[in-house]
Amino acid sequence: MYEVGPAGEAGLRLVFLEAPQPTLTRFLLSLQQAARSQFSDCLADSVVGYTTLTLLFHPLQWERDRAGAWLAEQAEKRPQADLEEALAAESVVTLPVLYHPSVAPDLEWLADQKGMSIDQVVALHSATTYFAYATGFAPGFCYLGEVPAELAVPRLASPRAAVPAGAVALADRQTAVYPGISPGGWRLIGSCPTPLFHGGDQPAAFLAVGDSVRFEPITTQEYRELGGVL
Amino acid sequence: MRQLVIHQAGPAASVQDSGRIGTLQLGLPPSGAMDADALFSGQYLLEQHADEAAIEMAYGGLLASPSEPCDIAVTGAPTHLSIDGISASTHTVLRVEAGQHIHIIPGATGVYSYLHLAGGIDTPRILGSRSTSVREGVGGLEGRYLRDGDRLPLGAAKSLVNDRMASLTSTAPADPITLRFVPGFQYASMKPDAIAMLLGEEFLVTSKANRMGVQLEGKAIDTGIETLLSEATADGAIQIPPSGRPVVLLNDRQAVGGYPKPGAVIRSDCRRLAQARPGQKVRFAPCSPQEADRVGWLEQHYRDTRLS
Repeated sequence: MYEVGPAGEAGLRLVFLEAPQPTLTRFLLSLQQAARSQFSDCLADSVVGYTTLTLLFHPLQWERDRAGAWLAEQAEKRPQADLEEALAAESVVTLPVLYHPSVAPDLEWLADQKGMSIDQVVALHSATTYFAYATGFAPGFCYLGEVPAELAVPRLASPRAAVPAGAVALADRQTAVYPGISPGGWRLIGSCPTPLFHGGDQPAAFLAVGDSVRFEPITTQEYRELGGVL
Repeated sequence: MRQLVIHQAGPAASVQDSGRIGTLQLGLPPSGAMDADALFSGQYLLEQHADEAAIEMAYGGLLASPSEPCDIAVTGAPTHLSIDGISASTHTVLRVEAGQHIHIIPGATGVYSYLHLAGGIDTPRILGSRSTSVREGVGGLEGRYLRDGDRLPLGAAKSLVNDRMASLTSTAPADPITLRFVPGFQYASMKPDAIAMLLGEEFLVTSKANRMGVQLEGKAIDTGIETLLSEATADGAIQIPPSGRPVVLLNDRQAVGGYPKPGAVIRSDCRRLAQARPGQKVRFAPCSPQEADRVGWLEQHYRDTRLS
């Protein structure tokens, strides 16, 4: 089931009324590519969300009805088979993480809550291969899922005013790394020294929607060598 | 090298052009001038490309000098302009000699004004645009608001002979301002009460208004939507967070968000809202995409006939 509707005066939004899953994300990414070539002259921007593809056009320079019909037609032609074989051949991105209470204010609390040792929490968090479902919140921020049910944890009732850059965080069944200092309500269980977003002359994000991601525990010394600050 | 020396930068002055295209998936907002008409007017006055960058000021307040003689124009929200202490006209081309002081003080209405210089601001284009996205530290001068003592490079300028006047801006008074929006996103899944309040109530512009968006105040709206999967926002998107107080997202908005949105305000009214000061009353009115196009065509026609 899907719907196509407006996204403002010069946009279209395709939403699939189902739970997020990698298969859907891969289809939306393939559709985003197709839209870029189909509407190269009038498409200003496009974004894949969890279950959505939003196409934003240059106002007055596109044909709304034709674009809407094209989008619905593509959605209709969604293949039953996963595009995994074709698109997910890329290797897994590995992010180094220091899991230590000195950089992770909620790590001991989480272990207590779950009746586990810190090592068990770390083992669970770093044993899973996550899927990047969506970008958002800030440049370089990627929503990664799914966190093992044993680690699922609610957000803080009131967000912290300043979460440090590189903080590895948990909320519900999701995990993420905060690319820069920002307010945040997720639980902090580690710190990743890899910069996830570069501004400057060549802005670039380290992770993209559709990536597979693993976390690799590192020692304090390795953390320092990779540029981490304690 | 031709430069503009900033003696006093004011609270929120930044380099802006018509904005960045195609960077939302990267998490970068479009940014660009909050009053596109005012930017356009200034480039018309100086006979330069519509995409040349200018200095955008929120609530005026700029003192600057060119290092070499330079044609300038000030557009957007009304300001008091003086050159070396002598009062001068806005919305027209002025010749400023090297070292003369351009002083811009905010007027009584509007928010965003623009200082345009012949040759444009020649900071590097990042991903196709010179616009500053301050939160992400991208574009403009070192990705930030201007500071006292900054020196901005200026592009090569041709000599101008014209008596053009142009004063397109979006500060025309209205009370309340009607914000026309194209329904979409979660419009159909919100409680009927929520939509009735959005359409029926008046809201006030608060002081939480900046390049990212404008926070409104009024009766709290309960959308009835508990959780939402993150998805793209759009220019003018009306976002209703758990507080129930709508925020209209503007040029420096987050590219992706997880709060329910009943629709997005059309460009024309986004500019009016951006130029509105705290305390301004606004109302929302739904508008079909076709009606939004008609407004767009009409405004384009108006620009083309006024500036030609």
